[in-house]
Amino acid sequence: MTYALYILLFPLFAGSLVGIFGKPLRALPSQLLTTLGVAISFILSAILFYQFIFLNHAPINQVLYSWAVADQLHLNIGFMIDRLSVMMALVVTFVSLLVHIYSFGYMYDDPSKQRFFSYISLFTFMMLALIFANNFLLLFFGWEGVGLMSYLLIGFWFQKDSANAASMKAFLVNRIADFLFLVGIAGVFAYTHSLEFSQAFIAAPSLAQTSITLFGHPASVLTVLCLLIFCGAMGKSAQMPLHVWLPESMEGPTPISALIHAATMVTAGIYLVARLSPMYQLSPTALSVVMIIGATSALFMGILGLVQTDIKRVVAYSTLSQLGYMMAGAGASAYAASIFHLFTHACFKALLFLAAGSVIIALHHEQDMRKMGGLARKLPITYITFLCGALALIALPPTSGFYSKDSIIDAVQQLNAVGSSYTYWCLTLGVFITALYTFRCFFLVFHTPTRVDDPAHVHETSSTMWIPLIILAIPSLALGYLLFKPLIIDSPSWFGNSIVANHAALQTAAAMALDSLSHLPFWLMLAGVFTAWLCYVRFPKLPTWFATRLSLIYIVLVDKYGFDRLNDFVFVKGTRKLSQFFFAIVDVKVIDEGAVHGSGKLIAYLSQWARKLQSGYLYQYVLVMILGLLVLLFWQI
Amino acid sequence: MLNAFPTTLVVFYAFAALLIASAFMVILSRHPVQSALYLVLAFFASAALWIMMQAEFLGLILILVYVGAVMTLFLFVVMTIPMHTIPIDKTRLLYIGYGSLVLVLFLGVMAKIIHPLNHIVFQLNNFQAPGISGATAIGESLYTTYVFPFEIAGFLLLVAIIAAISLSWKTDRRKIINDVSAQVNVKAKDRLKIVKMKAEKPQQDSTEPVQHD
Amino acid sequence: MNIVDFHILLPEILVLAMAALVLVIGLFSGRKQSSISYTLSQISLLISVVFVWNQIGMPTLYALHNMFILDAATTLSKLMILICAIFSLAYAKPFFNENPEKTHDYCLLFLFSVSGMMMLVSSNHLIPMYLSLELLSLPLYALVTIQRTGMNAEAGMKYFAMGAFASALLLYGISLVYGATASLSLSTIANSLQLLQTQYSTMALIGLVFIVAGLAFKFGAAPFHQWSPDIYQGAPTPVITLLGSAPKIAVLIMAIRLFSQSFVTFAAHWQMIWIAVAIASMALGNIAAIIQNNLRRMLAYSSIAHMGYMLLGFVTQTPGGNAAALFYVFAYALMTLAGFGALIVASNQGFEVENIEDLRGLNSRSPWIAFMILIVMFSLAGIPPSVGFFAKVGVLEAVMSVHMTWLAVLALIFAIIGCYYYIRVVKAMYFEPVEDASPLYSSWGGKVILSLNSLIILLLGIFPSSLIDLCRAVYFS
Repeated sequence: MTYALYILLFPLFAGSLVGIFGKPLRALPSQLLTTLGVAISFILSAILFYQFIFLNHAPINQVLYSWAVADQLHLNIGFMIDRLSVMMALVVTFVSLLVHIYSFGYMYDDPSKQRFFSYISLFTFMMLALIFANNFLLLFFGWEGVGLMSYLLIGFWFQKDSANAASMKAFLVNRIADFLFLVGIAGVFAYTHSLEFSQAFIAAPSLAQTSITLFGHPASVLTVLCLLIFCGAMGKSAQMPLHVWLPESMEGPTPISALIHAATMVTAGIYLVARLSPMYQLSPTALSVVMIIGATSALFMGILGLVQTDIKRVVAYSTLSQLGYMMAGAGASAYAASIFHLFTHACFKALLFLAAGSVIIALHHEQDMRKMGGLARKLPITYITFLCGALALIALPPTSGFYSKDSIIDAVQQLNAVGSSYTYWCLTLGVFITALYTFRCFFLVFHTPTRVDDPAHVHETSSTMWIPLIILAIPSLALGYLLFKPLIIDSPSWFGNSIVANHAALQTAAAMALDSLSHLPFWLMLAGVFTAWLCYVRFPKLPTWFATRLSLIYIVLVDKYGFDRLNDFVFVKGTRKLSQFFFAIVDVKVIDEGAVHGSGKLIAYLSQWARKLQSGYLYQYVLVMILGLLVLLFWQI
Repeated sequence: MLNAFPTTLVVFYAFAALLIASAFMVILSRHPVQSALYLVLAFFASAALWIMMQAEFLGLILILVYVGAVMTLFLFVVMTIPMHTIPIDKTRLLYIGYGSLVLVLFLGVMAKIIHPLNHIVFQLNNFQAPGISGATAIGESLYTTYVFPFEIAGFLLLVAIIAAISLSWKTDRRKIINDVSAQVNVKAKDRLKIVKMKAEKPQQDSTEPVQHD
Repeated sequence: MNIVDFHILLPEILVLAMAALVLVIGLFSGRKQSSISYTLSQISLLISVVFVWNQIGMPTLYALHNMFILDAATTLSKLMILICAIFSLAYAKPFFNENPEKTHDYCLLFLFSVSGMMMLVSSNHLIPMYLSLELLSLPLYALVTIQRTGMNAEAGMKYFAMGAFASALLLYGISLVYGATASLSLSTIANSLQLLQTQYSTMALIGLVFIVAGLAFKFGAAPFHQWSPDIYQGAPTPVITLLGSAPKIAVLIMAIRLFSQSFVTFAAHWQMIWIAVAIASMALGNIAAIIQNNLRRMLAYSSIAHMGYMLLGFVTQTPGGNAAALFYVFAYALMTLAGFGALIVASNQGFEVENIEDLRGLNSRSPWIAFMILIVMFSLAGIPPSVGFFAKVGVLEAVMSVHMTWLAVLALIFAIIGCYYYIRVVKAMYFEPVEDASPLYSSWGGKVILSLNSLIILLLGIFPSSLIDLCRAVYFS
């Protein structure tokens, strides 16, 4: 218990200390302090992990501090420490630690290092609060906290207009999602009179039976609540159609993209669904929605990755696609597989981002792939590690991505629910797309003839940057093999009772790897890699040819299916029109002139009157007192 | 007691009327000294009432302390300050008007209290004399049962003294007295300082004329 | 008096004894050692805190012929009173530096006033209650006048005259209650009132109204509030830090004990009276504060409004409501200390912060002090995460729990009006241009005390439940 508290407190203290006293502390001590804080957190998480997984420590669900009590509403700060949260915490602190170390190099020439390190430490704290929460309140606190930190970090280079716009977009999109999430939380409280997860789980079966009428249709309360909460998850995990902020968020520094927009924060939505799996499991409708939205994101966001030219955006779209896989897995009740993919994805996607960052730094903040190429020789470590990440991403057996992703696909394949066949095909095709865009990026950056402006000055980045890459490359390759058995096959698995277990595939890891040769996804993946080689290495003119021939599709893709255009047209312009109406009529006429100025004038008038009472003459004061007394007397007798 | 002249009652009403009248005059008289004298009268009347209720000790103390000491002091103070009769102007009349209104209303309240009790007022005679004298009774309960309020009252008086001194103490008048020990302890070198210096010529270029005594 | 009694009375005895010691030492120490009385006073308050701390958790005990009571409410409130006193005396340090010749008198009167407050909360009898209320007030009259300059003298004179008048009302009320019930002890009054013959009940009721008036004066609640703006403006600022904070705690404890214990028979009556007083205070305080330009007057009206909110908890007559009122008054005491403390700290030598304009651009002159004032103002306005927010939530919840929704709505409306003038201060500090941009130099001591005070407000706003639990423990037992 105390461990968990310290896991949270170290990043909090280090982050706040550096945030407040950053200037007098100077850069290097600040960096060391925050890194140390996260390192301690990581070690404690590891201890906790050992205790829970290997020593079978019983789950802890405990209220630490009762923040405020109002009638039935208990606002508590409480921790739920079980196998799921412990594993999640380990992953978060692990990636966060590596990103801290990596940022030493990446932010080397940035003037406001203290601010950066303070933010990422505080982010880690918020994320851990989210993970350890045992009630919706603390969860929401962490949820908003990571959102805030994400906002601040996307706009870290606030001198850039695009960064400001991107941070604003991320914030607004998440507000919409969080609003619905909050409505969901309020609904949970309204029906269960508690904000505790455990109470919600107990009440879930009866809520599934209760039905309310919504827009004229009867609906199960549980389904409505699950869907509302899922809206929050959609925002945070960038599922269609609330995904638009994630690609833009690449305006932030690359370590942030690795930490927040790949490994940790964006997976909070998946974590949420898994955490609340006892609720979702009882609502087939909600599960189907989750699955279909996940599958759609997985395929269509992947396709967009094909036309991006910015290296970070390719990885960002790949993140969207992978999040779709996880969400689809969760929707298929394969929570274990979904979280498994979350872990492996955290490693290999962080690796890809950090490797991409390494490339970007080596090329002096150049992100356009059209100005790269032939970097394999120049950046050998980055090259190898990027390749590891790419192989894991395309799910080549026996890399980690293979085990987790195929578990999801297997689970979906065996499922018989509304939308499960659609999901299966989306996910399977997604494998091809994944391989295609990943290796397109890989070839364009590392293999094709160099298009770098000044190739002579390109050299491998500093050790603080490539050491994390190597550290991440190992789990990217091996984690799947190690975790497949304990997480997916074993019963009980490492998750214990923390999520609803649903066993789909029951093979050993090695057998699974061999078996994959006879499966469709494996061949699709190879086909994807081959196509990429064909298009970008063997016949570099091919993509242009396709682009001109299939210009319509190309335009649609470059336009990102027109989501931004639609948003711009409907929401931005529409809102502007609406707000102008409200401003001109409601605000100026009714509120300003009527309510605000009117009541203001009234109060000012009353205020003048009250001032007159205060004449300063003693006998008048006494008279007022006596009159007051007499009024009270005559009123009461 | 049949047909007996109700002496007690008459005396009571006489002193009660005197008390009320003199209390009125305290606030109505236009010269402060007169007000103070009426207050003395009011004290006398209430002392008489207390004695009638067999609280002789309190009645006498009231006369001794308030009339004999407090009011005398008060009169001295009032008379040392230049005082003049307060003129009756418009505001004062206005407030007299308000005052009489308040008075009437309060009388109404009093009537409301007294009305259900009117038969009790006349039971004055039924008071039983305590077996011990009033002073003894007061002293006993003051030092036993009421020791806590008694102590607080003691401190209250101390605070009153301190507050009065603190407010009237003028710091700059403090040093009228001679500091004897300082006079005795003074050394010659404290009084006279001999400074050795070279002889100097008056500066020739000085624009100011050199002064000679 | 046996040993047990002595133990119960130890904090009060200590403060009084130390006051006597300061009196003697003050006589024999010269002008230059003026800080000795300050140090001694602080030490005595601190030791008294320790003694009170040791009393925590004791069962309800009586002493001195049941006139002195020691229970959870008295212990907690004495602790808070002493903490307020320590802060207040610390804020007075710059005043002592400027007026060393006043230090002895100040400390002396200060200690007597604090002992009066401590005895007031422990009074279980109307006579000690009245006397300790006087012991509380009398030194305050003198403290207000301590500088004897024009404003001071006027304020002190007004305060004294009106205070005497309020005392007379209180005393008259007590005498009527005594006349009706023939008892002065709080516990026996309750019994007598229940068995009261009807012809006496009017008398007791009128006595009750007079007592309400007397106590409302001490709270500074409307319509018995008119002393406070003038006194807050005229008195030396350090004195207001005491006058505005600790006495309200003491009087509230007394009022709760008196009304919910002794006058429980007349509960319906005093509830209506206090509701009227509360509404009048909230309305008048908040509305009149808006046009005040003088910060002290503004804070005075704000105190009137806050007393109205505090009374809301008390009028519910539930344990939860009493606890909410207690929490409110603690929170308010801390806020008002910090508010006037900030005025002291923000005043330079020769430059007194009087009006809101004087705070213009404080953020650029001293960001830290501006931030501290920001916390205080937000807390007074009841904006989370400050303790003022939870205080308001507490009383509103108490009011809602007895189904007086209209009252809660009314309170909320006035609270919104109230936000205006607090935020005006913040606006002046942060968004208005500076005329004199020179950085503000204030002493480290003052800054540290102010920061401590404001951070307590912030901390209690983030973690309010420890104090809330303490307050609830007092009335739920």
